[in-house]
Amino acid sequence: MKIRIVLPLLVVLYVIVPVLWGGDKYVLSLLVASFTIAGVALAWALLGNLGGMVSFGHAAFFGVGSYTSALLSMKLGLPIFLCILMGGVGATLISTTVLPALRLRGPFFALAILAYSQIFRILATELEGITGGAGGLSSIPVLPKVLGYDFSSKLGGYFVAITIVLFFTWIYHLIRRSYYGIALRAMQESEDATRVVGVNSTLLKAAMLFISAFMTGIFGAFNSHYINFLEPDYAFHSDWTILPVVAAIFGGYRSLTGPLVGAVAIYLIDQSIFKNLIPSGHQFILGALLGAMVLFSPDGLEPFISKKLRWGKRAAH
Amino acid sequence: MSELVLQSIFSGLLMGASYALIGLGLALVFGTMKIINLAHGELVLLSAYIAYTMESTLGWNPLWVIPLSILVVCACAILVYFLVSGIQKNRELNSLILTFGIGIIITNLSLMIWAANVRSTSVSWFQEGVVLGFLYSMRSELLFFAAGLALLAIIWRWLKKSWYGRAVRAVSSHRDASKLMGINPQFTEMLSFVLAGLTGSFAGIAIYCTNVIYPPLGATLTVKAFIVTVLAGLGSIPGLLVGSILLGLGESLTITLLRPSLRELAGMILFLLVLFVLPNGLFGGARRRG
Amino acid sequence: MLHIEHLMVKFGGLTALQDFSLKMGIHEIIGLVGPNGAGKTTLFNAISGLVKPSGGRVSFNSTDILKKPMYARARMGIGRTFQVPQPMSELTVKENLLVSQRFGTGKVDEKKINEILAFLNLSRKAGYNAAMELSLSELRALEVGKALATNPRLLLLDEVLAGLEASEKRILMGTLTDLHEKYGIGFLIIEHDIETISSLCKRVCVLNFGELIADGTPQEVFRNPTVVKSYIGSSHA
Repeated sequence: MKIRIVLPLLVVLYVIVPVLWGGDKYVLSLLVASFTIAGVALAWALLGNLGGMVSFGHAAFFGVGSYTSALLSMKLGLPIFLCILMGGVGATLISTTVLPALRLRGPFFALAILAYSQIFRILATELEGITGGAGGLSSIPVLPKVLGYDFSSKLGGYFVAITIVLFFTWIYHLIRRSYYGIALRAMQESEDATRVVGVNSTLLKAAMLFISAFMTGIFGAFNSHYINFLEPDYAFHSDWTILPVVAAIFGGYRSLTGPLVGAVAIYLIDQSIFKNLIPSGHQFILGALLGAMVLFSPDGLEPFISKKLRWGKRAAH
Repeated sequence: MSELVLQSIFSGLLMGASYALIGLGLALVFGTMKIINLAHGELVLLSAYIAYTMESTLGWNPLWVIPLSILVVCACAILVYFLVSGIQKNRELNSLILTFGIGIIITNLSLMIWAANVRSTSVSWFQEGVVLGFLYSMRSELLFFAAGLALLAIIWRWLKKSWYGRAVRAVSSHRDASKLMGINPQFTEMLSFVLAGLTGSFAGIAIYCTNVIYPPLGATLTVKAFIVTVLAGLGSIPGLLVGSILLGLGESLTITLLRPSLRELAGMILFLLVLFVLPNGLFGGARRRG
Repeated sequence: MLHIEHLMVKFGGLTALQDFSLKMGIHEIIGLVGPNGAGKTTLFNAISGLVKPSGGRVSFNSTDILKKPMYARARMGIGRTFQVPQPMSELTVKENLLVSQRFGTGKVDEKKINEILAFLNLSRKAGYNAAMELSLSELRALEVGKALATNPRLLLLDEVLAGLEASEKRILMGTLTDLHEKYGIGFLIIEHDIETISSLCKRVCVLNFGELIADGTPQEVFRNPTVVKSYIGSSHA
């Protein structure tokens, strides 16, 4: 990885941003939300790129992660960070029910997962005894103090969020350049060609599903302790599917950083500009963006911009 | 108790025709272009909202809106067709994302223009009850059920007999070969979108008159169309009807025997069941495995 | 090494392979011939695991392999090339082999990979992108290379020479013979060219309409009237 980019980036994230906006709760919340979306976008892109499956239901994993962690902390009083971990585990367990869908072709898998997210939303609403029903859960425990630092503050949450995102990005990177990552990409071209040389393609794809679900669940769990409130329509809201998808496509879902950059950009612009222009229905711009991306620059904005830049340079001669 | 169940079955049955019409549009487009139009339900919803607008501003009876609706929705469908045709590579995946985006646009535009309120027709003639024996239904339910069946029958016959109808089926089964026989696949594809617009707009008005509409309904309808297509197995209109009725029944019975809030669950579970247990649908059809 | 008993493969109403039996020893080179559609590739698909037979048994080194998934058979030592080469096109030639070796044997031995590349005359193209810059004969060699990298005991070669020019054919044939001698691998070769088969193989099996109609030395088999008829008959079809 390019150290020249990573190091300054770390400095910006861990030092500069806190110094500049550490006291501004609004900006911090915005950033944390955008990083949460970024995390899900990363997980989504991982499943798409390496697993070869496009999902329209990641909200399912997000919601399950949220509820698992919240409930464990509220009913069993477990340490919060452990609960968050279990949130990821919960989402992974759920994803095992999606396994049979892996052998379906693209659109069918995407919609099968969509069905799951709807099912879980309804279950969360109906199983009132466990989940608090439509009213949801409130006063979910906040992030704890660790080694004297209070992570329940907005800034504390911010640090946790970016650390998780960076950690998962690193994991994604490791997988991608490992033999497994290479095999996974070759699998999308011809699964048989890889199986014939000994690749257990089914296992690899399943592993990608589990990892994607786990990551998404973790973010859902984190989110529930950050905003301390949960209800089915929120936890399983289609926004947790739509925003990451738009982010990943916009930023370039093939690359490692594309989804992250896309998420931060899209979310910040959407919340600060679009929402103020058109309070109700502003997301239609996201839909338009999605369409435009697919038609004009399917690999995301990065290649599009670099194409334009190259063109500009040539014209200037 | 059993009277309640019978009533439930009856109501579910009546819904079936509308679901079949919605599913037909999705199935036709999938058949000719091998893509799933995720904005399909939104087009249906658009038709419903056109009826609402005409009724609330000009006092039109929704029935008179049907021709207008068909025009507008078909125009939109053709637009979607051209957009989808513009996809350069990896059409199967990118069309999903593109139509997903179009769906978001329409849903949010509906939110902007018509707000989130739940709407339905206020034409009282529609809402008056008709009693058959001990079975109760709204006039509109019966009317649109009959009309829907008629429309389905006409289209089924047309697909079987007419030149264009056969072309649609030829392109579905073997695109390149159909070119050799002088069929223009692009035109046929566009035609399937037009048909989707036609059936969808009719179904939209039906839903407006028999049910309630609200912006997120578009996405729900797309999913239902998809459920019905999967239930039917691809390439079978009778199958589509049976699948739709099953869905209607499933929802209706869930409302009656369980709880209304579990209504959407019925469709989802049916869908997953068929997907995993009967991958070729109830009536066989194209392979679904990759 | 390979023991096939009464193998039957049906696709819906069509019987692609009927009551096929074969006993193959280690180090044998067996040719598999027959008109198009006779079931040769289907046989390969059944052995390697792409297709599930409707009846019969196949055992490899005394293990019943029909229950095993494709990747397990590859790791057991059954390698296979595809008629239409299927390289991992985003990777270089060398990476193609490395990946195959990594998953087919469980470890990576770069020395062996370089050896294989040299053997197949692909060393020069080791760093080239597999999809873009290889000629047909190089692609074919790559197919063989990928299979070789998994350290197979049995290699199923599906029309590896088809479409090549005479000189390219001769080179590849020579490579195959050398391979057999150097690594002691058994070959099951599908080819259409009778001359090639006769010079490469000591034993030939003939398939027609899914049935084994002859099994013997090339001389015996190609003079067999049934075999001759199957070829002449099919050219009239």
